[in-house]
Amino acid sequence: MSEPVRGPVREVAVVAFGQSEHVPDSAETSEVEMLMPVLHDVLAQTGLKARDIDFTCSGSSDYLAGRAFSFTMALDGVGAWPPIAESHVEMDGAWALYEAWVKILTGEADTALVYAYGKSSPGDLREVLTRQLDPYYVAPLWPDSVALAALQAQALIDTGITDARELAGIGARSRGGTDADPGRQLVGPLRTGDCPPVVDGAAAVILAAGDTARRLVDRPAWIRGIDHRIEAHSLGVRDLTDSPSTRLAAERAGAFEAPVDTAELHAPFTSQEVVLRRALRLDAAGGTVRVNPSGGALAANPVMAAGLIRLGEAAAAIHRGASDRALAHATSGPCLQQNLVAVLEGER
Amino acid sequence: MSEVLTAPLVVEFPFTRSLGPVQGAFLTGLRERTVLGIRARDGRVVVPPVEYDPVTADELRDLVEVAPTGTVTTWAWNPSPRRGQPLTTPFAWVLVRLDGADTALLHALAAPAPEAVRTGMRVRIRWAVARTGAITDIACFEPADGAAAEYQVTSHSGEFADPVTGITAPARLDYAYAPGGAQSRYIQALAERKTVGERCPACRKVYVPPRGACPTCGVATDEQVEVGPRGTVTTFCIVNIKARNLDIEVPYVYAHIALDGADLALHARIGGIPYDQVRMGLRVEPVWTEGARFPDHYRPAGEPDADYDSYKELI
Repeated sequence: MSEPVRGPVREVAVVAFGQSEHVPDSAETSEVEMLMPVLHDVLAQTGLKARDIDFTCSGSSDYLAGRAFSFTMALDGVGAWPPIAESHVEMDGAWALYEAWVKILTGEADTALVYAYGKSSPGDLREVLTRQLDPYYVAPLWPDSVALAALQAQALIDTGITDARELAGIGARSRGGTDADPGRQLVGPLRTGDCPPVVDGAAAVILAAGDTARRLVDRPAWIRGIDHRIEAHSLGVRDLTDSPSTRLAAERAGAFEAPVDTAELHAPFTSQEVVLRRALRLDAAGGTVRVNPSGGALAANPVMAAGLIRLGEAAAAIHRGASDRALAHATSGPCLQQNLVAVLEGER
Repeated sequence: MSEVLTAPLVVEFPFTRSLGPVQGAFLTGLRERTVLGIRARDGRVVVPPVEYDPVTADELRDLVEVAPTGTVTTWAWNPSPRRGQPLTTPFAWVLVRLDGADTALLHALAAPAPEAVRTGMRVRIRWAVARTGAITDIACFEPADGAAAEYQVTSHSGEFADPVTGITAPARLDYAYAPGGAQSRYIQALAERKTVGERCPACRKVYVPPRGACPTCGVATDEQVEVGPRGTVTTFCIVNIKARNLDIEVPYVYAHIALDGADLALHARIGGIPYDQVRMGLRVEPVWTEGARFPDHYRPAGEPDADYDSYKELI
């Protein structure tokens, strides 16, 4: 039933990646003040001016800001007047990158600027994220994001797929091995060490097609495939110990056609890394895949940007010659509800 | 560097949602202490019922009644309940597969301690005393005795007297809004009854109020420039609808005002002149009231009108 996977109709690469420092509270800067240095950074990496960008796409959430159309203010940082070709997704910036990639495939753009930002500090993130849940059966109970992840973690422990020791190890590795303390229990079985730090931050990438990409950077990170899929929306319908949508997205992105050397996984909770490693077959015998050399979302999880950062980190590893073929994953929603997988390669 | 401002910001909505035939039947059923599920295309009974098949997306309509008892499929211990959650003392979040169902329902389980909770334990619904047709008609689950019996679901019409057709779901989120550097500087200057814009280092335009970036050049505005206090009405409208909680008689005029020295018009109310005498080019000045952090309105400054060419680029 599955159609054969075809490569993209146009060569598109990530040619630059930048991110802000991720801080617990950025009250001294507005969204655009936080974002602008990152935009200038990626433009400077390529030598492009804002006017050279054919398409701009961003990801952010009004629920973090507590204000409608909050993204329009951030657009000032792009230099959006006179009007530019621009779009926005109320999603992680990884999905903005997907839209920009499609735009380039259509031939309507050769270059694209993709950015994402999230300031969680103004609100209570665990409460804010309840508002993305089913409004009839679930949201009236206000189950917070850590509680839902904890239900998934317990299911993994019950089935023997993981245990507290492995989870603590994932947390420690993600934080560079310096912080092995699993911490206090937040929502059992999850401890503070299993959960992401709540931070504010921003990230940006530049995409370019074919020869434009080759001109802008020594070693473009070519997007060989990218796909995103979603689970049934009711948590109780899903098998929380597995992620069929990640597996399907990876298949469609061509991830299983050749081994990757690096994987940047967007797993905000240690237990979710376990699910993703299995779905993506990263633990195959004799495997040598470097998982989250950046530290992943457990080291810094600026909501709405953390998925785009996974794509950016994977691309940056290729730019600097640390990877030849990398997988990048982004997620959205409770318990890995929606998943995006991209395969990036450098020319050898 | 001036002090960074923050202010409380509450976003609150009573979301009113219509339910449709499946969700309406389920929530009406809860009011009547009856739990309904729906038969999916693969034969599974989905509880809570969904309108479309989770696998095939086909429309589903075959409602069945399941038991108010069930089995915990996974759980999470919540030591510090938060606002809006089902219980105010520590409890377990649970997914419960009700007897007769093939999928699980999310809710809270009343339990004294995590040691009293395990996957596979038997639980039953504790009904809320006052029920309205909402998921919170289930107050929570509580531990139950007895093993899972083979439960035969029965077909259900989904029809009840006085069916619930909608829910009102109140939602409130609390923020500490921080306007950032440029806007904090602007607001602090206003407290001294000064209007201070910021200049773009590239195009030299002065933005009032400053937002931190020049939208044409995409760079940070970096130089503070005091503008006004007088300005010119560039365009205006006549407001004929009284806003709730606003003690201003209609009709009144709301205008774009280009303050002297600014390259962007800000907007404010015009007073001190009959509404039908306000015109483009009218020269105005701010009117401050005691204790206010911004001008209450602008009034005619008593100067001759500005020449159209002097403000045409700012309309």
